[in-house]
Amino acid sequence: MLKTLKVMAAGLALSLLTAMSAHAAASCGDGSGKAAEGEPIVIGAITGKTGPDDFSNSTKAAKAYFDCLNANGGIKGRPIKYVVEDDQWNPETAAQLGAKIVNDEKAVLMVGNSSYVECGANAEFYKKSGIYVIAGVGVPRECFFAENYAPTNAGPRVSMLGAMGYALDKLNAKSVACIGPNIPNVGTWSCEGVALLAKEKGFKADVILMDPGSADATSVILQAAASKPDVIVLGMSKGVAVPLLTAAEEQGLNQTITFLSAASAYDLSVPATIGSGWDGKFFVNMEFNDLEADTPDNKNWLAVMDEYGQESDPRDTFAQAGYLAARIAEKALMTLDPNNITRETASAAVRQVKDFKSDIFCAPWYFGDGQPRHNANSTTRMAVSEGGKWKVVSDCAPSPDPELKDIRAFEATMK
Amino acid sequence: MNLLPFLISGLGIGAVYALSGVGLVILYRSTGVLNFAFGAIGALGAHVAWQLLQWKQPLALAILAAVLVATAVSFLYGRIFAPMLSHRDTVVRAVGTVAPALFLIALMGVIWGELPRRLQFPTDQMFLALFGVRLTYTRLIALVLAILMVVAITLLLNRTRLGLDMRALANDRDLSAILGVRILHTETAAWVITGIFAGLAGLLLADLVRLQGTFLTFLVIPAIAAAILGQLRSLTITAIAGLSVGVAEAVLTPIAWISPYRAAAPFVIALAAVMILGSTSRAALRDR
Repeated sequence: MLKTLKVMAAGLALSLLTAMSAHAAASCGDGSGKAAEGEPIVIGAITGKTGPDDFSNSTKAAKAYFDCLNANGGIKGRPIKYVVEDDQWNPETAAQLGAKIVNDEKAVLMVGNSSYVECGANAEFYKKSGIYVIAGVGVPRECFFAENYAPTNAGPRVSMLGAMGYALDKLNAKSVACIGPNIPNVGTWSCEGVALLAKEKGFKADVILMDPGSADATSVILQAAASKPDVIVLGMSKGVAVPLLTAAEEQGLNQTITFLSAASAYDLSVPATIGSGWDGKFFVNMEFNDLEADTPDNKNWLAVMDEYGQESDPRDTFAQAGYLAARIAEKALMTLDPNNITRETASAAVRQVKDFKSDIFCAPWYFGDGQPRHNANSTTRMAVSEGGKWKVVSDCAPSPDPELKDIRAFEATMK
Repeated sequence: MNLLPFLISGLGIGAVYALSGVGLVILYRSTGVLNFAFGAIGALGAHVAWQLLQWKQPLALAILAAVLVATAVSFLYGRIFAPMLSHRDTVVRAVGTVAPALFLIALMGVIWGELPRRLQFPTDQMFLALFGVRLTYTRLIALVLAILMVVAITLLLNRTRLGLDMRALANDRDLSAILGVRILHTETAAWVITGIFAGLAGLLLADLVRLQGTFLTFLVIPAIAAAILGQLRSLTITAIAGLSVGVAEAVLTPIAWISPYRAAAPFVIALAAVMILGSTSRAALRDR
């Protein structure tokens, strides 16, 4: 009798445990829990891991998803072999690694790429080689103006103009100063977008380009504030945005001017770092859903990271981008006959991707077959710093970037 | 364009460049070592202060700990590693200090990461309003501290036995040894003094600029520019030069065509200084 009770208790404990872990189970592939054992499909990626900043969170998340997929049937029984290379923020290295992945590894597709230098170095080569890239995070202009390259993120310019649009519509801004890094095709490109929109809509815009390595944030802020703008929009990385905000607070400008930023300053640590002086005064654009959003796909992303990623892999917006890129690749490859997955068939499948829905995106993602450039993610949200946290304050809104006219026109034909 | 606000904004950082420059010169004069690890040592101290403040320790303790840690690291390098290179060329001795700099960057990266943090003092909230700009008390403290330290070091050099030994070493190392100057003792004292400078400068820069290991490490460069302008000898000229480098960088801000490149100001100034003062600096090096 006692023995039976013990067994029952153990059984109860066991079933409780399974029930508790089941609610966070990662869902990938066919969900069969059967490992894929066929011939691997080679997918490549280039990421900027070592260098001025670590951009590899995107490929880490993509790898976690592919591992999850491989453990759940893979692509109709074939596992993904995911080859990730670090370009060290060096265009020459990026070109060598691109050739290695495309020519030597014979990758059929590239997924989750996130690099500052790779687009400029390799876009032409990818086009010539007939390989397609579903990138994670694109930063410079080249990533959004290439035929074979489609990032899942919105990019610094679209994101900055998303913030600008919010300032115009919700904060009634009539004048702006745009602070961007003096990096061609990044800062200049972003702030030019603000200037162009200002011309179209008839508001006042100043453009200030700064060296991100400059020690003197106060002078930049004084220069931006000199024209007494209603809002200041930042296009700097969080490493530079924080000192700029600190300098602005020191000058008491947080009381008179509202600050906004492109998604580059969206990091969970920022609100606590800048402190309570910025509560309700610093807005940031988000390329993806809230990192802590309680929505099904966002929760699945976190579950995939927990089960298949490393504990140390950051759960940030780059990781969301990599996860989405991997899921889009899965969707494309699943349409194919598993015995006939080549670069040609995979490319054709990627070109056909449309209406990819995830609650991490604002709008369904599509590749845009036949388009000379790709920027499917151009609808963004805004959050504000509040009590040491980001508080989402807006619904999804399309970025008012005038340069998106071709993209909007194409989207209209899809409907 | 009104340049006055920018002049005010440049004063704070300029004062810290001055402080750092003087810290470099005092070490170079006594030991012949140009300390590239100066910024990294200061950054380590600042990180320690930040950590203590995170742990809700009093501000005074945090500041004290920052200066103590910086001084201790400087002392350890000066006592253990620097003497091993003491008979090598000036260049070798200078390059030797890159090793602790790189080590400290890595150490700070491992412990605190590269995300910038905010080190704040209560004096950030207090300010004088001048020409429409707020000159915070932290910047005023930086200015006063720079002046005080120059005066203190000048007195030390001119009025004390240690100062006499240091000056003797600066003139002729071998001759001083024969005359009974305790070389190791004097050099170690110089490393301790430069460590105190590094600790104070690191704290101020972490507050005024940003608390980020790699970034603070490389802020040694404007200080080296100032030290070169002072020909690695004159404390007063170094201090004035440091102040000028900071102000020059700030005042260039509103000049649109040069503004995006103004971060290069310290390098350009240092380059010009080397070209103009080159011959005299070489003479100074030969002295050693």
